[in-house]
Parts: sequence; C-alpha cells; structure tokens
Amino acid sequence: MEHVIVTEGLGKRYADGVDAVRDVSLTVRGAEIYGFLGPNGAGKTTTTAMLTTLLRPTYGRAEVAGLDVVRRPDAVRRRIGIVFQRSTADADLTGRENLELAAGLCSLSRAESRPRIRELLERMDLSEAADRRVRSYSGGMQRRLEVAVGTIQDPEILFLDEPTLGLDPQSRAGFWRYVRELRRKNGVTVFLTTHYLDEADALCDRLSIIDRGHLIASGTPAELKERRGDDTIEVTLAGEAPDLTAAFASVAGVRAVARDGAMYRLKCARGEALVTKVALAAQSREVEIARVVVRKPSLDEVFLEMTGRAYRAEGDPNGSAKGAPPGGARAG
Amino acid sequence: MWREFLTVVRREYLKWVRVPVWVSAYFVLPFVYLVLFGQAFNLNNLFPAGGGAAELRTALLGAPDYFSYFTAGIIGFVILTTSLYAGTGVLFDKQLGIQSRMSSTPAPRSALFAGSLVFRSMMAMLPCFLAIAFGLAFAHVPGLVGLTVNGSVSALGVGEIVLAAALLSLMFTALFLAFGYAVDTNESYFGVTSLLNLPLLFTSNAMFPQSTMPGWLQSISAYNPISLAVNVVRENLFATVGYPFGPGTYLLGLALWAAFLIGVALLVAARELRAK
Ligand SMILES: Nc1ncnc2c1ncn2[C@@H]1O[C@H](COP(=O)(O)OP(=O)(O)OP(=O)(O)O)[C@@H](O)[C@H]1O
Ligand SMILES: [Mg+2]
Repeated sequence: MEHVIVTEGLGKRYADGVDAVRDVSLTVRGAEIYGFLGPNGAGKTTTTAMLTTLLRPTYGRAEVAGLDVVRRPDAVRRRIGIVFQRSTADADLTGRENLELAAGLCSLSRAESRPRIRELLERMDLSEAADRRVRSYSGGMQRRLEVAVGTIQDPEILFLDEPTLGLDPQSRAGFWRYVRELRRKNGVTVFLTTHYLDEADALCDRLSIIDRGHLIASGTPAELKERRGDDTIEVTLAGEAPDLTAAFASVAGVRAVARDGAMYRLKCARGEALVTKVALAAQSREVEIARVVVRKPSLDEVFLEMTGRAYRAEGDPNGSAKGAPPGGARAG
Repeated sequence: MWREFLTVVRREYLKWVRVPVWVSAYFVLPFVYLVLFGQAFNLNNLFPAGGGAAELRTALLGAPDYFSYFTAGIIGFVILTTSLYAGTGVLFDKQLGIQSRMSSTPAPRSALFAGSLVFRSMMAMLPCFLAIAFGLAFAHVPGLVGLTVNGSVSALGVGEIVLAAALLSLMFTALFLAFGYAVDTNESYFGVTSLLNLPLLFTSNAMFPQSTMPGWLQSISAYNPISLAVNVVRENLFATVGYPFGPGTYLLGLALWAAFLIGVALLVAARELRAK
C-alpha cells in the first residue's frame, strides 16, 4: 500500500536549544488512521507542525502525499487539513464567517463553499450558533468549529492535534463517526494526536508513541498491548479452600501466581486459552470457583509503562508497572 | 490569488466594523489634534503683528495663517498615527493562532499581506480627510480658527491630494505591518514604533516650516515622505508659490518611497509566513 506520510530521521531543535523532536522515522499508509501518542511536551505538536509545513525541520526529511514538505509546501497545503490543538478561530467573527474565511483562503468559490459550510455546520452541530460570534462559544463548540474549519477544503490527509480535548461524550462519539466516515467515503488519511487512549484504541489502525522527542514504539493497538505482555486471569475460589498456588503454578502456560486471600492472579500469554485448564486444576482438588476474569493489558498500561517513569518513581500504588520491566521497546 | 486577497480584505473589514473602539479612535483623533494642537499651539499667536509676523508669513509659503498651514500638515501626522494600528493586528493574529491557520492554507503569502495592506491603508487614510473637513468647519465656529483655502481647488488638485494621502498610508501601513510580522511581543512592537514615530514627524515639515530648520534638518525634511505628501496638499490648498517642485514631482517621490517600503515589507511578511 502507498505511503502517504513518510518521515526519515526527522528532528527539530528550537532556537532556544530545546530538542523537541529527535530522529523520528515513521510511515503512514493511505486511508489509514494513525495515532500519535505521547505525554505532554513529547513533541507531538512539533512533529505535526513540521508535517503541515508550518515548521522547518532542523534535520531529516518528511514527505506528505509524496511531496517534500520543505520543497513543495504549497502543494502540500492544498492536500491537507489541520485541526490545531489551540483554537485558531477569529473570536470577533461568527462561526460561519470563520468558515468562509478559511474557504476563501483555500480558493473555494462562493458556490462551492456555501453548501459545504452548511453541511459542516450541520455535521458539527453548530447550525444554531453559526451566526454568533465565536467569542461566545463554549470550549467544545470552538473545538467543533476547529474541526469544521480544518476539513473545509476536503483534504486528502487530515492532521488532528488533540481534536477531542474537552469534548463531551456525545460530541466525541460524533467526532469519531465523522473521522471514520471521512476515511470510508473519501479515503482520507488521518494523523491523530491524542491523550485519550481509549480514543486511540477505538479509532486508530496503527499508532506510535513518542516520548521526549523519541519514537519509542509503533504498531497496531493489539501489537502494542501484546508487547506489554501478560494477560491476567483472576480466579476467586468459593468457600473454605486450601492454598492452590502450587496447583495453578503447575498449569502449563501459567508464568506466575500471586495469592491475595481467596483470589489468585495468574500471569499468562493468552488468558482465554488457559481458563479451562485452570478450572480443571481447581476441580481436580475439589475446589469450587466463584469467579473467573481474564484481564487484557490496556493501552493505558502500555502507555504508562513506556512513558510513565515519573509516576512509578513516585510509587503510585496502582501503578501498572508492578511486575515486568518495560518491554524493551525503548529506542535510543 | 484574487479570491484570497478579497477574503483577507473582507475579514479586515468585518473586524473593523466589529471593533468600534478603533472606529471612534480614528474619528476622534483628527478632531483632538486640531483642537488641542492647532488651536492652542498657534504660531500666529506667538508672533503678534510686528515682530516676526512677516517672516512667519514667508515661511508658511503662501498659507494664509499658521492654523491653515498646520491643518494641511496634520494629514501626515494623522496617517502616521493611524497606520500604527496595522502592526498590532498582525501581532494579535500571531498570538491567537490565527496566523498559523492562515499560513497553513495554500493562499499565496503575498495575498495575505496585500489584503491587510490595502484595507488597512485605506482606513488609515480616512481620518485625514476628516481633518480637512474639521478644519474647514472650524472657520465657521466662533472662537475657533479654521482652515482657509486660497482660491479654488481643481478636481485634479483633489485627486493629487487623495493620491498623496493614499501613497503615504500605503507606505506607513506596509512599514508597520512589517514590524508586526517581524517582532514577537507587544512590548518590542511599541518600543520600535514609538522610537520611530516622533523622529519621523519632527524631521518633516508637517508642523514647522522647513525654512526655519537648521540646514542638516532641512535636507532630511526634504526627503521625508511626510513632507512630500504635505507639500502636495499645501500646494493645492494654498495655490502656493515658493516650492522648488510641483505636486507631480513630490508624488513621484512618494511613489518611490511607497514602492521601496512595500517591497521590503512584502519580503519580511513572506519570510515570517514561511516555515521557520
Ligand atoms: N516555540 C517553541 N520554542 C521552544 N520550545 C518549544 C516551542 N514549542 C514547543 N517547545 C518545546 O518542545 C517540546 C515539545 O513540545 P510540543 O508542543 O511538540 O509537545 P506536545 O507533545 O504537543 O505536548 P502536549 O501534549 O502538551 O500538547 C516541549 O519541551 C516544549 O517545551
Ligand atoms: Mg501538543
């Protein structure tokens, strides 16, 4: 499949010496929704700005739609849409006027832009507020307007920098629907920056995690979760039961067992495959099982595991990083 | 190109009508200058008939009195002050992310610049015509001195005055837009512009006759664009003799200044709107 975004050793050092992005190489395929995750200050916005021709890379190379972002910025700008992390609407103008402004700057004629603007306002649930000044919009309304402005020119590639920050659940779901639809109907490629891991999990085909300017992991959400390692089977025994630690530990595939009263936590590669064997082990000692739960590692865990040293250092009691050391995915 | 340009002009217009503080500032400014400066600071009163009055008359190059002379000069002053606003708009756009949005579109950078330049310079020009209107009106207000026009002004003369004001507005608006693009903080913008403002004014003949200046200042004043524009206005309003050149020459000088400053500003804007 064609690669729509390609970076090779991309880096940005700001004038004050901050190395915001270091040696990032990634590829995004056509019509893919690609997640770009990382903690605050990791370099997500900086990377997005380089890909959207707004910042000049200090080193390395980036191509968007097969066009070098430094040498062909105008051609790149004609093909992309951007939803900025910070709202870019003019607060003195109305929502509609902001859309008209963006449309005009993208060289859309009145005849082309009018129905498009109406449709976007409708879509973003802003029709009623369309003729009010943006100054009076709520945070979520501004965010939705930003999405509308960013997609005004029907982009081939859409860059979304934390597009759902501060949106309520309905708006968020509506936004997800919109992004999926853009991809399905128009084959739009999406580069999405987010802090919401459920969002990345639900929306992204592939994603990468950036930390302090370094790309530290990439893959599909499933691959990353797998790399994080073990599933956990939680078995709770019924009634007065003998200690089954040894029995569970001897089940083939179980890597570790921890007991907490009547509850046992079994670490293994794929929990659902072992549930029967674990149940049989209990049955053979004539112990009843009250409850079995298989827990998958979440993207949250992966994320914290890879980027959350600070949390762990503070000794967060619920820290997801008890147990296995980081998955060795850290580059550089 | 044309559509993008008109889009920027429309935005400037919408912002203009929505922020009435500016509108009133533009309209009040010439009034205040004429009342406070023009009435109080009247050289005619400093040289009562006799001592120096004749010399002053000569220095005014045919203007009937100092207030009339000053009113014609205020045009340069007003345009300089109102053009100052141009750069602050750019600064706000930068700080509010609006400039990122505009730079991210495929619109030609020159259209982004030209749209702001054209609309803002036209607006900067408006109040100087108000100044002339106020000056003329004052002549009919008891207790105030007013602007007296010698003879009649031809249609060509009016055209020359408008052209001079337009060229002066264009060059100053370009200059201040360039500062707006080039600096990052409000402090540095106002630092630079206030350093520039008074020297530009006082090295011109807007307020004081050139012949009363020391030699070195006279040579600066002769090339100061404010002087050039004011010369065009005075020559037309006062049917004056005693200027080394006709209005056409001064207009040519203004056009050269405008071309130079707009060119420089365009380069600055293009550089600042490019990826950095
Ligand atoms: N204009 C700038 N000048 C200097 N340093 C900057 C500039 N912009 C960002 N940085 C620095 O670059 C690093 C990366 O910033 P960036 O905005 O790309 O992070 P981010 O991943 O988008 O963070 P967030 O999740 O908070 O939006 C940070 O250390 C930041 O302080
Ligand atoms: Mg960011």
